[in-house]
Amino acid sequence: MTKTVRTLFLPTLAMGLFVFSIYHLLFAAEKLPKEDPLLEPPRQSFALGISGTGLVEARAENISLGTAVAGVVLEVCVTSDQLGQRVTAGTPLFRVDDRHLKAQLRTHHANLSLAEAQLERLEAMPRPEDVPPSEAKVKVAEANRTRLKDQLERGEQLLGKKMMVEEEFTSRRFTFLAADQQWQQAQAEDALLKAGSWKPDKTVARASVDAAKANVANLETEIDRCLVRAPVDGQILKIDVRPGEYVNAAAAKALILLGDLERLRVRVDIDEQDIARFKPTGRVTATPRGATGQLLNLKFVRVEPYVIPKKAFTGDNTERIDTRVLQVLYEIDDDQPGVYVGQQVDVSIEQNND
Amino acid sequence: MNWLALRMLTGDRSKYLSLILSITFATLLMSQQVSIFMGIVTRSASQILDVRDAELWVMDNKVRYIDEAPYLPSNSLQRVRGVPGVEWAVRYHKSNMTARLPDGNFRNVIVLGVDDATLVGSPRRMVVGELNSLRLPNAVFIDKAGYEYMWPGEPFQIGREFHLNDRRVFLAGICKASAPFTTLPVMYTRFSEVERFLPSNRNLMNYILAKPLVGSDALEVCRAIEEQSGLMALTRDGFFWRTISYFMRSTGIPINFGITIALGFIVGAAVAGQTFYLFTLENLKQFGALKAMGVTNIRLIGMILLQASVVSGMGYGLGMGMTALFFTFTNRIAPMAGIHLTTIAATGVGLAVLMIILLTSLFSLRKVLFLEPAVVFRG
Repeated sequence: MTKTVRTLFLPTLAMGLFVFSIYHLLFAAEKLPKEDPLLEPPRQSFALGISGTGLVEARAENISLGTAVAGVVLEVCVTSDQLGQRVTAGTPLFRVDDRHLKAQLRTHHANLSLAEAQLERLEAMPRPEDVPPSEAKVKVAEANRTRLKDQLERGEQLLGKKMMVEEEFTSRRFTFLAADQQWQQAQAEDALLKAGSWKPDKTVARASVDAAKANVANLETEIDRCLVRAPVDGQILKIDVRPGEYVNAAAAKALILLGDLERLRVRVDIDEQDIARFKPTGRVTATPRGATGQLLNLKFVRVEPYVIPKKAFTGDNTERIDTRVLQVLYEIDDDQPGVYVGQQVDVSIEQNND
Repeated sequence: MNWLALRMLTGDRSKYLSLILSITFATLLMSQQVSIFMGIVTRSASQILDVRDAELWVMDNKVRYIDEAPYLPSNSLQRVRGVPGVEWAVRYHKSNMTARLPDGNFRNVIVLGVDDATLVGSPRRMVVGELNSLRLPNAVFIDKAGYEYMWPGEPFQIGREFHLNDRRVFLAGICKASAPFTTLPVMYTRFSEVERFLPSNRNLMNYILAKPLVGSDALEVCRAIEEQSGLMALTRDGFFWRTISYFMRSTGIPINFGITIALGFIVGAAVAGQTFYLFTLENLKQFGALKAMGVTNIRLIGMILLQASVVSGMGYGLGMGMTALFFTFTNRIAPMAGIHLTTIAATGVGLAVLMIILLTSLFSLRKVLFLEPAVVFRG
C-alpha cells in the first residue's frame, strides 16, 4: 500500500501542478475588455467634412467697453445683478472721477456770466439818467448863445449910430463866437452820449462771451466723457470694474463687456491646411464641449477675409500662436438653451465636392 | 512490455528523481524567464494597453515609441477629426514630471492628460474614489502601485495634496493601471490641468486618440489620416508592437534574458541527457536480454521513448506548476505586478523540453539499437 502511494506520489504531484499551471495560464492574465468612452466625444457630422473649433459670440461681436479718460472710478451704475439684462444705447454704465472738472466748470460758468454782463452793459448804453443833464447842458449853451447873439446885434446897431466904440463891439463879437462854439460842443457831446456804446467794443464783448461759452461746453464734454455709456442696445455680459479702481484708456482688459444676445454667432477657426477644402455652401453643425447630443445648426454669415494667427482661447494675454487660421462666422440657427457667449464648440463643416 | 519499461525507470530511484528534477529545473528556469521577459517588455507599452476606449493613436510621423513623442499643434486635432472614417478624435498628453510631496520629498511621475469633456483614456478600475472625481479642479488619480511608492506603508487616503511644478494638486482617487516599464507612479489628470502645470509650453498634445467609424477598416482609416494630415496613425496593436520592437532593438533586455533562457536549455539538456544516457547504459543488460528474447527494435524504441516522455512529462508538469506558484505569490508585490506565466512561454518551453528529450533519447537509442544481445552473456 505504502509502496503504491510512494510510486504514485510524484506523478500525482506533477499532474496536480500541471493542472494548476493551466489554471494560472487561463486566469492570471487579466484580459481587459474594450470600453466605451464615458461621454461620447464630438464626432464629425458629415461623411466628408472639416472640423474646427468655434467660439460663441454675440451678434455684432462682443464689445469691450473701455474708458476715454484715465482716472479712478467713482461709481459703477450697473450692478452685477443687472448682468445679462438689456440696456439701451446711452444708459450710463460707470463714471470716472470728474470732481476737478466739475469744480473748473463752476469757474467757467462765472466767467461766462461776467462776459455776458459786460456785453449787456454795453448794449444798455446810454444810461437813461445821463440824458436829461446832457440835454440841459445843450439848452444852457443855446440860451447863452442866444443872449450873446442878441447883444452882438444890438452892438452892431449902436456901432452904426456911432454910439459904441469899435473895441467893445469886437469884444462882444468874440464872446458870441465862444458861446456859439460851446453850444456846438454841448450838442456834439449830447449826440455822443445818445449814440450809446461803440460797435467794436460790443463785438469784443460778444467774442469774450462766446469764448466763455466754448470753455463751458468744453468742460461739459470732458465731464460727459468721464461717464461711460452703452454705445448700442445690448446685454451686459461682464462687469470687470469696481468703484475705486484706476482705469486708463491703454488697459487691455474690457471693463464692461456688452453684446447683443438676440442671436448668437459662432466664430470658427479653420486650419490653414483645410482652407482649400472649405466651401461656405456646406451644411454646418456644432456641438458644445461635453454635450455631444446637443447639435446646433449653423447658418453661414461671412468669411473674415484675412487669415490670422490662431489663438488658443486660453484667455491668457500670452496666447499661443502656432498656426494661422481662417475665421468663418456662423449664426446659430435654432434657439437652444445652455449656449453661452464665450463657450467653445466643436464645429463640423460639410465638404461637398461639387 | 510498457510496464516493464516503467519498472525499469522507477527501479533506480536516484536516477529517476534526478531525471525528473533536471527537466523540472530546465522548465522552471525557461518558463519563468520567458514570462518575466514578456512581462517586462509588455510593460514598456502599458500605457498603450491601458487606453481601452480608443482604437487609433495619432502622433508625429517619426515617433519610435510611446515615451518619445513631440507635441503637436492643437489644430492637428481638428484636422484628424475632419478625416473621413474617423468617428471621433480627442487629445491626449503623456509626459514625465516631478511631484513635490508635502514632506519635501519628490518623485518622478508619468503624467497622462485626458480630454476634459470625455475623459477618453482615463482609468476605469478604481481602487478608492470614483472616476467622475477626475473632473474636480486640480484633481489627479494615481495608480495603486504609485501610491505605495509615493507614500509607502500608509493606508489609502484620497484628498492628499502635493505639488506639480509648483502647482497644487490633490489626490482624487487611486486607480489600477498596468505597471509601467520605469516603475514610476502613473498619474492621470485632465488636459486643462496639464496646461496649468506646464504653462510655458506652446503645445501639450502629443497624441490624438481616435476611433474609426463602425464598419470601417481601422488600417484603412489610419492610411487616410496619414494621407490627409501627414501624421502617423497606428492601431492600438500597431503602436504596441512599434514600442515593443523599439525596446527589443535598443535595450539589453532580449540579450540578457536570451542568455538565461539558453543556459536553462543547455543545463537542462546536459543534465537530463547525461543522466538518461547513464541510465540506459546501466540497463543495457536488460535491453540485451530483451533483444535476445526476440523483442523487436521498434518495441525497444517505444520503450525508451515512453521512459523519456514519462520523465519529461512529469518534469514539465512540476516545472510549470512551480512557475505558476512563483508568479501567483510574486504578483502581489509591485515590481512583479502583472507578470505571469504566458501561453507562449508554456508552449515554447514545452517544445524545448520535447527537443531535450528527443536529443537525449537519441543517444540512448543509438546505444540500444546497435547493442549485441550477446553482451548479456559476457562477463
